[in-house]
Amino acid sequence: MLDVSQVSHSYAAGGRLWRKPAIPVLQDISFTLEPGMCLGLLGVSGTGKSTLGKIILGLQRPTAGRVSFAGQDWYARDRRARHHMRREVQAVFQDCYSAVNPLMSAGQIIGEPLRNYERLSALEQKRRVAELLEQVGLQASDADKRPAAFSGGQLQRINIARAIALRPKLIVLDEAISSLDMVNQTQILTLLSQLRADYGMSYLFITHHIQAALTISDRMLVMDKGQIVCTADSAAALMSSPHPAVQQLIAARLPEHPSQRLDWSSET
Amino acid sequence: MTGAIIVQANPLLETVDLAVQCRTASGKLDLLQGIHLRLEAGRVLGIVGESGSGKSLTCHAILGLLHRTQMQRSGQVRLQGQELTNYSERQMRRVRGAQIGTILQNPMNAFMPLHTIGTQFVQTLRTHDGTLSRRQALRIAVEGLDNMGLPHPQRLLRQYPFQLSGGMLQRIMIALSMCLKPKLLIADEPTTALDLVSQLQVLRALDRLRRECGTAILLVSHDLGVIAQMADDVAVMRHGRIVEQGSVHQLFDDPQHEYTRLLLDSRMTAYHPLEQEQEQEQEQEQEQGGRRDA
Repeated sequence: MLDVSQVSHSYAAGGRLWRKPAIPVLQDISFTLEPGMCLGLLGVSGTGKSTLGKIILGLQRPTAGRVSFAGQDWYARDRRARHHMRREVQAVFQDCYSAVNPLMSAGQIIGEPLRNYERLSALEQKRRVAELLEQVGLQASDADKRPAAFSGGQLQRINIARAIALRPKLIVLDEAISSLDMVNQTQILTLLSQLRADYGMSYLFITHHIQAALTISDRMLVMDKGQIVCTADSAAALMSSPHPAVQQLIAARLPEHPSQRLDWSSET
Repeated sequence: MTGAIIVQANPLLETVDLAVQCRTASGKLDLLQGIHLRLEAGRVLGIVGESGSGKSLTCHAILGLLHRTQMQRSGQVRLQGQELTNYSERQMRRVRGAQIGTILQNPMNAFMPLHTIGTQFVQTLRTHDGTLSRRQALRIAVEGLDNMGLPHPQRLLRQYPFQLSGGMLQRIMIALSMCLKPKLLIADEPTTALDLVSQLQVLRALDRLRRECGTAILLVSHDLGVIAQMADDVAVMRHGRIVEQGSVHQLFDDPQHEYTRLLLDSRMTAYHPLEQEQEQEQEQEQEQGGRRDA
């Protein structure tokens, strides 16, 4: 469904008078994503995970390579065609507060994609918004509240409701659970799994949280310095990868129980 | 530290019935109630709880950093037997930094973006020790950064906060605290904004601070992994109250309160065989050069 082939990207490094050499952030990235699959994209900060996410969302034209979604190349189509494609690809970002307009009510936020793509009567739209709110574990009466009245976990649920409003084929989840506390993280992960089972959507789950990626993904890609260094279909395959970047991520996990503490007493 | 051997009559930090009320248009609102905490020198007390449970507010109440007109604090906060609630603002300023160090969640906000790391480092050191010359302070700064294992300390001091990553800034913050040798460090979600690899480096730095300087740490986190790794004792908070308090082993093995059980159940237990992990760690140290996985 999603086909990323040989995508490279570099950012211009500024320079007032003469151009400085561009900084490469992605090099030769290729992968495919089947319908209904959840692909985990792992890596430490600054490896280009979010840039790749933006390229897949059609927000950033890559310097080289092709991104096609359902057989259509994002960046070869005109604006009108892109508008139709955008309906099928939605996003949820890390910072739930900056992802919404603080002056809009929850109902307006969730209803915005419906307004853009579907001509619904006011009554029908209200009904759909209420339905979506209940689907993500909130109440229909929450539609009149503004973002400031919600906690981070609740607001992330609103972002998810907005993302699923048009029943997209793919949702890019860019660190969608990273800013939440543990209880909320687990609840949101459960919600995401459930929604995927109900609608058969695909997820691109971008994260640095290895346990979360293992919990939800069918396949994991590990990125390091702009390249994919490991592809794993199971937890065991990921754990046995010899690449230092993968091992660094695995070694950075914290213990689940105080008896499993990492021993640092010998360090000076 | 000889204090670690002698059983102290006064713990390093003690709060007795600490409470915070907020004045609102519709009356007073209890934000914190009945907070009893006790922290001995060189130990780590973890505070866990979901967002909005009052973890950060507890830290601010201890530091006396509450909104003057809206918030009202009651109860006692004792640092080495000294009653901090009786201190004037002027006295508290001496306590903060020198005796109680603070590390906050967002290191970007903890530094002034307009000044270099060096300027801020020197300023902080000289504020707390008026006898230091600029040059002496700079030397201490370089030593402190070097001691923390940060690369190129001289160059770091000339850089601005926005040129550095979050993990780097957080470690600089710990290095700065280490130079002031506080007796207590309040770390409010120190690793929440960081990725896993930086998180580990910051936690290691905190662990060194405790081992080498004997600093007690009040560690606030919602991540039970951080607590399991670092804490000796844990207090679980919810809705502005402490619902359970005990040693870290007791809490993980035999949680008493149903909310603690809920927290423990929310851990993501995907894959965690211990022996394999240690083997892999050793392998990783030996491993050099990147091999591409098929």
